[in-house]
Amino acid sequence: MSDPWKECMDHCIAVTKEAGKMIREALKKDIPIMQKSSPVDLVTETDQKVEALIISSIKERYPTHSFIGEESVAAGAPSILTDNPTWIIDPIDGTTNFVHRFPFVSVSIGFTVNKEIEFGVVYSCIEEKMYTARKGKGAFCNGVPIKVSGQEDITKSLVLTEMGLKKDPEHFKAVMSNMQKILTIPVHGIRSPGSAAVNMCLVACGSADAYYHIGIHCWDMAGGAAIVTEAGGVIMDITGGPFDLMSRRLITASSRAIAEHIAQQLQEFPCGRDDAVN
Amino acid sequence: MEDPWKEAMDHAVAVARKAGAVIRDALQNEVKIMCKSSSVDLVTKTDQKVENLIIASVKEKFPTHSFIGEESVAAGHPCILSDNPTWIIDPVDGTTNFVHGFPFVAVSIGFAVKKELEFGVVYSCVEDKMYTGRKGKGAFCDGEKLQVSDQTDIKKSMIISELGSNRDHETVSKIFSTMQKILCIPVHGLRGSGTAATNMCLVASGAVEAFFEIGIHCWDIAAGAVIVTEAGGVLLDVDGGPFDLMSRRMVSANNKTIADRIIKEIDIFPAERDDAVKK
Repeated sequence: MSDPWKECMDHCIAVTKEAGKMIREALKKDIPIMQKSSPVDLVTETDQKVEALIISSIKERYPTHSFIGEESVAAGAPSILTDNPTWIIDPIDGTTNFVHRFPFVSVSIGFTVNKEIEFGVVYSCIEEKMYTARKGKGAFCNGVPIKVSGQEDITKSLVLTEMGLKKDPEHFKAVMSNMQKILTIPVHGIRSPGSAAVNMCLVACGSADAYYHIGIHCWDMAGGAAIVTEAGGVIMDITGGPFDLMSRRLITASSRAIAEHIAQQLQEFPCGRDDAVN
Repeated sequence: MEDPWKEAMDHAVAVARKAGAVIRDALQNEVKIMCKSSSVDLVTKTDQKVENLIIASVKEKFPTHSFIGEESVAAGHPCILSDNPTWIIDPVDGTTNFVHGFPFVAVSIGFAVKKELEFGVVYSCVEDKMYTGRKGKGAFCDGEKLQVSDQTDIKKSMIISELGSNRDHETVSKIFSTMQKILCIPVHGLRGSGTAATNMCLVASGAVEAFFEIGIHCWDIAAGAVIVTEAGGVLLDVDGGPFDLMSRRMVSANNKTIADRIIKEIDIFPAERDDAVKK
């Protein structure tokens, strides 16, 4: 039977490549910065331009589809996931890295139907690595199949996390306390590359064994979620319960054992929901 | 006037590239891990193989030179810097990354004469980026000149630090309290790539404004020290005093303004000097 979403996915990959090119071009020039919710929550014209490029390209081909895009939401568009085919877009995941030219910057697109993620595309555009996954058909990096490390022993694991974009000392206290608990399990190490979507792909291809984060957004996770699961990994809520795309938090790992061990250590703190009515 | 150390530097670049190829090759196969001082202080056969390759290759060409290599020191060789031309080698900087296939792994070779660093070579071998710095002649990545960032506002800066391999409770608490203070300045972000040599090259290239760490070794920073200074950056001790290669600690930054601001927040904890006489 033919894949009903194959054409969408091919289109997605093509527009993502174009977006990545636009980002690499922008890196050759000066990058003026604007701020969103705080002085460390950055956005640039390129974020906005890339999102506009992606959305207009898709609207032209699929005029009935819905969108949740980071910059559109910042401009006031709703962030509610319906059953309608929906494109969940982060035009530049790792804007702070982009501004500093730190090498992990990605375009992330997840596609859902009936609230289920059907495919994900993450283009780590400085490294020129195109990660893709179609539900039930495996995960790939530049066409080569990838799979998670399979590591089950937390004391032999490399864990990724990020420190967040708030300016609030209480927030950082909670983040540091969780990191300290994880580090002293002990694990082999903790790394912070700076892009959630890339982090998920690093778990998917076995370069890291887990990534956890409280405070990200659905557009950071939608693309990577498909890629990690299709690579054989697990994804869950930080409490160990089922993954919730709108919850602003996740643990993704090479195995259930590692994910659950991390869940046991983490102290929750409030982060809001993407679908909260403001 | 001809550069008396040009030949040595060319040799360092060539042997670093060869070593990088050995590492990339090893990354294709499963990696057997051994532990050094603790269960998170890792070493592999590749670390040892690469160090032997580098030392043998250099000894053949420069038989009177001295060596300080991470794995040789682990095997009991002294770690004392003399006036003699000395190669300071980390064969695989980022062994934990290497073991996991995380993409930052570097070969680091620093060269000192009369205890002064003359040149540094860092080969980030998964990225295939060759960083070099020659005293007085600038720093380069794959032939392109490197320049640190011109940022003077700490609130617009990106900082790198690492968590190290010491899991002692008091040490870990100080590391996290420092990180928390820096995050609260606030800065744009805190990153960790997992290799000191690569982190110093990221300062030199302007991608981050500063890298600091307590607990590193002379072989992690000798090459990067030249690359950062030749790219226009500064090196200091974590207490604001002059940089000391054997002190196990360092702040490297794009300028003194940023370095001084970071130094204010660092909770210092003890780390035994590399040149301490072992009992």
